[in-house]
Amino acid sequence: MTLVGIQTPAPVPTADAAVAAAAGRPEPQRRRRRVQPTTWAGLAFAAPLLVYLVVFYAYPLYENVSMSLHRYTRATYVTGEAPFVGLDIYREVIGSSQFWTIVWQTTVFVVASLLFQYSFGLGLAVFFRRAFPLSAVLRGLFLVPWLLPIIVSATTWQWMMDADSGIINRFLGVFGIDPVWWLSADHSLTAVIIANIWLGIPFNLVILYSGLQNIPTEMYEAASLDGAGAWRQFWSITFPLLKPVSAITLLLGFVYTLKVVDIIWIMTQGTGKSQTLATWAYAMAFGKGTSATIKYSEASAVGSILLLVALVMGIVYLVVQRRQED
Amino acid sequence: MFTTQRTLRILSLTAAAALATTLAACSSDDDATPSSSDGASAGGKTLTTLNIWDPYPQYDDSSDWATYVQSCAPSGVTVKRTSAATADLLNNLTTAVKAGNAPDVILLDNPAVPDAASAGLLAPADEVGIDTSGFDANLAGPGTVDGTTYGVPIGANTLGLYYNEDILKDAGVDPASITSWDTLNAALEKVTKAGHKGITFSGIAGEEGVFQFQPWFWGAGADLKDIGSDQAVAAGQLVSDWIGKGYAPKSAATDNQSASWDLFLTGDYAFAENGSWFAQAAAKLTDFKAVAMALPGKDGGAAPVPTGGEFVLAPLQKDDADAHYANAKKVIDCLVGAENQVKTAGMLGYFAANKDERAKQIAADPVWAPWASAIEAAQGRTSELGADYTAASAQLSTALQGALNAAGDSAKVKDAFTQAAQS
Repeated sequence: MTLVGIQTPAPVPTADAAVAAAAGRPEPQRRRRRVQPTTWAGLAFAAPLLVYLVVFYAYPLYENVSMSLHRYTRATYVTGEAPFVGLDIYREVIGSSQFWTIVWQTTVFVVASLLFQYSFGLGLAVFFRRAFPLSAVLRGLFLVPWLLPIIVSATTWQWMMDADSGIINRFLGVFGIDPVWWLSADHSLTAVIIANIWLGIPFNLVILYSGLQNIPTEMYEAASLDGAGAWRQFWSITFPLLKPVSAITLLLGFVYTLKVVDIIWIMTQGTGKSQTLATWAYAMAFGKGTSATIKYSEASAVGSILLLVALVMGIVYLVVQRRQED
Repeated sequence: MFTTQRTLRILSLTAAAALATTLAACSSDDDATPSSSDGASAGGKTLTTLNIWDPYPQYDDSSDWATYVQSCAPSGVTVKRTSAATADLLNNLTTAVKAGNAPDVILLDNPAVPDAASAGLLAPADEVGIDTSGFDANLAGPGTVDGTTYGVPIGANTLGLYYNEDILKDAGVDPASITSWDTLNAALEKVTKAGHKGITFSGIAGEEGVFQFQPWFWGAGADLKDIGSDQAVAAGQLVSDWIGKGYAPKSAATDNQSASWDLFLTGDYAFAENGSWFAQAAAKLTDFKAVAMALPGKDGGAAPVPTGGEFVLAPLQKDDADAHYANAKKVIDCLVGAENQVKTAGMLGYFAANKDERAKQIAADPVWAPWASAIEAAQGRTSELGADYTAASAQLSTALQGALNAAGDSAKVKDAFTQAAQS
């Protein structure tokens, strides 16, 4: 009896039906299908998402690019004066003496982090594939880095890596190794890479572990009947069948690692070799660390470059994925 | 009678209403901004809310400081206090002024004042009606930018050399003998040879590390206008050697002032360069006796120290400016007026910025006595360079980081300073 009650939220149909009725012919009605009630309803349901995407993604992205093409200073916020300078800021940023050094450091940071995170993650995932007593608990423990707030883990790493009284140097001392000044300009990149690897292992472990669940056990059984050892099974079954999952893990890992600011910032403020494009952009955008002068436009230029790199990697991933499907 | 249909209808109505409210809230945003405070009367002449921002997140709403700020509220006005970290406050102010909802009063770290003023974020003191007379020239200096005064110091602090009397006795060092860099280095050598640790200081990247480096920088006769000078390199060499010889912890390159103070509190270190804001805490220490003295200059005498502390200012208002400024003036008068200066400074562990008021403060509490001459000789960090200070500070921070990492290597220290000066 009250079925109408549910339909009331869409007032359009009545108006639309009236128009259609006035037209009187069946053909235009077919053409009008595009604005049929269901379409309107569909649009209405999609609208919140579209509005959300525009407000929180498209607009900030546009602002970021626009900021990198205009010369912004602190005074811009009050006067609104930001002269358009085209690609000048990009030229200045790329031409600055530090740019290529920082690009190299970023590359080392990303590649080394990914390589170790992925191999440790994969090794552990294979290890945990066979259920054994306490395996669930141990697997849970490996998630701890993921669950801890970064401020806690980064500060702890900073303490552990203290040159004079840190536990890592104390440990190395047991083996007669000279203490290392981990957070010094020369070693800071290694230090933050180590911390970041530790931080990224759980992510790789979880995704690769779930990927392993999809490989049928019969394959392994058949392989072992054919006399394939563990090593052969890994390279001929696990690794190839895990490729799609590996690809997405590495892509996500790449994007996450490229934009890492927090752990580096807390440990070293991006001093010495630990400066990456992301921390550099952060320092310039907020006038922190050694770059006390605020450089909004330069920061957004670096930000745009980072976005571009991530985008390129995304496209590479899509191409690889399509090729795998074919 | 409570059918499924009815429930559904109610649900859909609720959802529609919620959506409508959300959309209304979005669209009304633009209309709401111009007449910022809702408490303002229709004429916009009197405002019933006053916003004050400070960089003291360590004091929560139940703290003495919060209660004290509330007590300065003009009658009929509610004070709303917001705290943010020192390093974030200027950025927050920048966006707030743009959005037209700047606070009525802000307490801004003194080296940030020229930056804020030259970006047009602040209202001149005479426009607001702030009484700028009676403050010591060296302490009030950072408040004046290009001939216009924007605000006054809420109080002042500076740096000194704390020492652990027990360790000095044990190592046979007479604190009175420490009058120059050489004598300080000799004392450091003695205490480390006696099995203790040397000195803690903060060399962290950014303004905080630069602040701590300035007494050595100025004490060598260096000038912020020439960061590559021999004097500047000499100051860099001093702190670099401390790291190299193991007098200072390597973590000095990443320690902030609280972290380096915590190291001193372990009781292992003989000396600590740190702020007068720790003086009261140091006097109450029970594990060992901590005493404060002046930081020595290179060739003897007290080193020129930088002034620390916040300025109390009225940010630029786009709407109802007169009403905002009128309220701001009342609060500022209350906080830094002669009758309350000592009380305000005491709350923050600062010195009163007026000589006579400070004399009363020092007379009342002997903890402050060793600092009296230092605060009088202290220099404003931005007094010489104004808004250009920020860039000089960034260069100096880079040079300092290089020097600390060189761990005594004099060629690297020189490189760090000459390269930073060119950047």
